[in-house]
Amino acid sequence: MNPARRILVVDDAATVRLYHRQVLERAGLAVEEAINGIEALEKALNAPFDLYLVDINMPKQDGYDFLRELRASPLAQAPAIMISTEAEEHDRRRAFEAGANHYLLKPIRPAELLACCHLLLGLGSAT
Amino acid sequence: MGFVKRTPAAPGADDQRQRPRDCAGLAQSLDDPDPAVRRWAARDLAACPDSSALLAARLAGEPERAVRQAMLLTLTELADVAAVQGLAACLRSEDVALRNDAIEAMKNLPRALPTVMADLLADDDADVRIFAVNILEALRHPEVESWLLRVIGRDPHVNVCATAVDLLGEVGSERATEALHGLKLRFPDQPYIHFAADLALRRIQGEGA
Amino acid sequence: MSEIAISSEDFGKFREFFYRQTGIHFDESKRYFVDKRLAERIELSGAETFRSYFSMLRFQSSGEELQTLTNLMTVNETYFLREDYQFKCLVASMLPEITARKRPGSLVRIWSVPSSSGEEPYSIALYLLELWPEIARWDVEIISSDIDTSILAKARAGRYSARSVQHVPAELLHKHFTALPGGEYQLSDELRQCVEFTRVNLAEPMDTRAYRNFDVVFCRNLLIYFDDLSRRKAAEVLFDALNPGGFICLGHSESMSRITSLFRVRKFPEAIVYQKPETP
Repeated sequence: MNPARRILVVDDAATVRLYHRQVLERAGLAVEEAINGIEALEKALNAPFDLYLVDINMPKQDGYDFLRELRASPLAQAPAIMISTEAEEHDRRRAFEAGANHYLLKPIRPAELLACCHLLLGLGSAT
Repeated sequence: MGFVKRTPAAPGADDQRQRPRDCAGLAQSLDDPDPAVRRWAARDLAACPDSSALLAARLAGEPERAVRQAMLLTLTELADVAAVQGLAACLRSEDVALRNDAIEAMKNLPRALPTVMADLLADDDADVRIFAVNILEALRHPEVESWLLRVIGRDPHVNVCATAVDLLGEVGSERATEALHGLKLRFPDQPYIHFAADLALRRIQGEGA
Repeated sequence: MSEIAISSEDFGKFREFFYRQTGIHFDESKRYFVDKRLAERIELSGAETFRSYFSMLRFQSSGEELQTLTNLMTVNETYFLREDYQFKCLVASMLPEITARKRPGSLVRIWSVPSSSGEEPYSIALYLLELWPEIARWDVEIISSDIDTSILAKARAGRYSARSVQHVPAELLHKHFTALPGGEYQLSDELRQCVEFTRVNLAEPMDTRAYRNFDVVFCRNLLIYFDDLSRRKAAEVLFDALNPGGFICLGHSESMSRITSLFRVRKFPEAIVYQKPETP
């Protein structure tokens, strides 16, 4: 049995992190948390993750900044999903320019989150 | 070679504060091409009570984050109406880092916040309302729960309500129970809202159990 | 007085708040540890319920209760070579980068704050003397500061309990300390001379103005006990104290994620440290 894939959920809201954690853990994925980009980078550098789920608005280091740093680090290849409350076209573009592989709007539905994770983790389609 | 000791605290190689340290001089230094000079000026302006408006106006145009941090810290110390208004204006900025830094700074101004909070919570822009609810986290004000309940009772935007429910999980009381049930009815198709509302209800009801 | 029971929901609420504030996460296995200390503080504070205690904790403007609680929840013993992976990092990774940028013959400056009773700055001196091959090529200045003058006096005296030196390898203990009749150890004059102790209050701008041009700052297990604003202000002081490209080390359970965005995260094989950006 392969070890569970590890996902880092990066969001300053505890309830949001808990929600994503439950969805992902039920699907057999291992989850860790960070409240902003700085903590996320520290955790990632210590033990790189298979996938990053990254909120935009966080104190001290936001999601765009974190993604840019991730892409400039030895962890540059890691897949990352940006999640946001912002629906404007320029926000999506900014996310992709910062290095996001995908962009999801909050509030996120479990099925959509899982499908997106499975896609980026190369796990085939989620059932 | 090896260890050396000199007489107490060796002074810095060059003192970067050249201009006179009066308030007018400091204000001028905010325009200096050297970011270190601007940073020191921003720090020392904490001693100049009328500098809030000036600092707030300079925030958006300041490219160096370290300088901005010093400006925000000073605004937090001045903590007057001009400071909080200037910070509130940053909530509309497209500069994500500036916005988030301003939100953080506002959380450190609990006394000045109520003056702007009502307006922010009623703003046309849903994003501004989200940020305003976020800032409420720092307020110990008898009105906080009432504000949150009003948001989840009426705000049409799901993410504004989501931010409010998150906070109710931490500061909500029995008063919030009915409104939380009502919220679930308002957004029957939003699994996150149901999750967050149920969590808040459990936190409110499950105490001491 | 009956003990207040902490419910599972209460624990969850507290845990989230504490993690947000400090970065320290308590999992279920720590229930007993946490509940016991919480119940103790609830009782001592005079709060009748967890709810009223939590409300006070969360919103108290002085932040005193949170500091007291943080103190209770963390282990804060000081001893020689505590968290020595950072000293390894100093000689193996940080100093090579720093000295590569310096003109030969210039000074390497290190600031250790708080000094407490001196174990940390003396550990740094010991480490550099014994384990930094380049010590012969560079002048090193170690300054260590504390707000408490009586602890500074203790630090200057250099006299330690057996417990404090228990992690010092026997040969180094023998070489740099003298065993005293009462079971204590006296640090050698040679090592005592390596550190300059000064009185500083990090929160007092007048005290810290002259502290500049440092290459490395050790500020371990201090900021975690400060409230948000004081932490940020202290971080600004430490930022200004460093040369561009200089490094700062926090305690192992501390993180800049709870303090400031001024520094860059740097990962070295031995440790994660923080760096002041090179170009201002």
